[in-house]
Amino acid sequence: MLEILEALLFSTLDAAPALIFATLGGVLSERAGVVNVGVEGQMRAGAFVAAVAALSMPTPLAVVVGMVAGAGLASVHGYLSIRWRSDQVVSGMAINLVALAGGTFLLEALFSPNGTPPIEQLPRWQLPLIQDVPLLRALSDHPGLAYLALVLPFLFHAVLHHTPYGLRLRAVGEKPHAVATLGLSVPLLRWGAVLGGGLLAGLGGAVLSTAVLDRFEQHTPAGLGFMALAAMVFGRWTPLGAFGAASFFAFGNALRIGLASSAPEILDVIPQGFLLALPYFLTLLLLAIQGQRSSAPAALGTPYEQESR
Amino acid sequence: MGERLRAALPSILSVVLALVVCWVAIALTRDVKVAGEAYLQMLYGGIGQVPKFLETGSGALLARPLGESAGKAALLILTGLSVAVAFKAGMFNIGAQGQMVVGALAAAVMGAQLSAPSVLHIPLAILAAAVTGAAWALIAAALKLWRGVHEVISTIMLNWVAVSLVDNWLSVGPLRAVASGGHSVAGTAEIHTSAQFPRLLGDISRLNLGFPVALALALFVWVWLTRTRRGFETQAAGLGPEAARAAGISVKQRAAEAMALSGALAGMAGAVLVLGTEYRYPGSLAAPYGFDGIAIALIGNNNPLGVTLTALFFGILRAGGTRMQLLGVHKSFPELIQGLALLFVAGRLVWLTLLRRRRAHPASTEVPRA
Repeated sequence: MLEILEALLFSTLDAAPALIFATLGGVLSERAGVVNVGVEGQMRAGAFVAAVAALSMPTPLAVVVGMVAGAGLASVHGYLSIRWRSDQVVSGMAINLVALAGGTFLLEALFSPNGTPPIEQLPRWQLPLIQDVPLLRALSDHPGLAYLALVLPFLFHAVLHHTPYGLRLRAVGEKPHAVATLGLSVPLLRWGAVLGGGLLAGLGGAVLSTAVLDRFEQHTPAGLGFMALAAMVFGRWTPLGAFGAASFFAFGNALRIGLASSAPEILDVIPQGFLLALPYFLTLLLLAIQGQRSSAPAALGTPYEQESR
Repeated sequence: MGERLRAALPSILSVVLALVVCWVAIALTRDVKVAGEAYLQMLYGGIGQVPKFLETGSGALLARPLGESAGKAALLILTGLSVAVAFKAGMFNIGAQGQMVVGALAAAVMGAQLSAPSVLHIPLAILAAAVTGAAWALIAAALKLWRGVHEVISTIMLNWVAVSLVDNWLSVGPLRAVASGGHSVAGTAEIHTSAQFPRLLGDISRLNLGFPVALALALFVWVWLTRTRRGFETQAAGLGPEAARAAGISVKQRAAEAMALSGALAGMAGAVLVLGTEYRYPGSLAAPYGFDGIAIALIGNNNPLGVTLTALFFGILRAGGTRMQLLGVHKSFPELIQGLALLFVAGRLVWLTLLRRRRAHPASTEVPRA
């Protein structure tokens, strides 16, 4: 029993970081009032560029390049939605479509249709002391980014709720005009959040191709960006909630994959499809019960115009 | 230059720009010659090898590729209309994919389980798909109208619920085709011939009933939007809910109706796919047709005629994409063109500003002279 729990904990910790980073990316952007349905595309950009970069440079550096790629794609979204006040959902979806088809095109043009050549994975950290303790053992032997994923949500929470910058960020998503009255630049704050969100989503994608896998595969991230959106909503747009929801969803995934390989007879009773649908179903259920207005940023999706009131 | 053309100009320019950017992308990763050849093959794949046709006069050379294009275009018309109709009522339906999945499954089940003469079987299968798609969309409408849940979020969630349940449970579990003769097939059982769309040109082309059905539905949506009171009220509710309410229009009801119609159209796209080409629910839909609908609707300016023309254009490119494979360009390349075109259309205001500036210039130089 302990061994099963340990294996589950280990694979959850392996799978969760990508989802946690991407979810936080969504939260950052949306708390500033900019809808971010382009998380999937930003993750794909991060995953692809990191895998390609890792062919010619150390993998940790390649991860940073992947993050920049995520931010690069997010900047297109930012340019259209902040500078030109385009519909944020449209430009986010456009980013997804471009990343989906563009990734496939570049993959075929530069490598093979199925994936990039294998790269060196991120080094895994062996934690001293707990390495031999049963159960706690599962915490060791993960890439450094996995530990960052456990810390970052709390850091994000602290910044959002206990610093002037965090207050401004929240305000710009709730009442942008009030922020403007204080002489602060609404576009600048939103740009920061969108680019930061892109960096985080790119990081999530880069983790997929450099730590979870050792290459970029054709379908990466295969809908994980949308699961991040579900986690963001389920976590009520807060960093800690996002962390909890993303970890929970990642645990569900680990459980499903674990069951498929070790106890397929259980999946005959509870079909995989049910488990796959669960994160989205739970999110819908939560929304149905408590409604959305109570937790979503008030100015979410509303382009900011100086003159409008 | 009419009002209509001027409204379409940003879309046309966006598509042209996307074509240019994508051409450059091939030219950079391969070379200029391949880029030109790839575009030529895409065109030939979509409308047929025109030079060879002129030489030999064999109509089959054109009928086959045009049939493929029409098949793709039918799907794009329906998913595009689906998104456009919701838009008109002020709702953003990102869930066309999920609605299409449940609709396709319903058509496949109806086609395989029921036996009836074609005149009944085909309409019933289409109807089943429409009703299922509408029901799926109404979940999002209900969540929005009663609980204030934004439809973008709920439809994204509903997409994944639909895909998970259908692709990973129903079509591989309870509804999986019974393997016959040793080899098992992916997806549900094959539908009866009485439910299959008739081929309009016999064996030389896969052109089937789906294309005229899609065109007829486009006409229906146009009539509904512009020639009926309901459609007018729906547009009013979408443009200004407050004003519409003040004018005595039941905004919630119009929004729910539009969402149901939107879901029905996406569901019928599923029916066209299953009854026209696949003849079963294939393990998965293989392409994000529902997301294509967003691109088609917005490039087509959310208007039935614009959607139809855009869908025809991209239908041709999409069918031609398979021929690009010969040159080592992935067959999903036209989707890149489509995605970029959507991105450029999203910058509609940029185009309008640029166009206005161009028009404003000559006028401003004339003023000092006068």
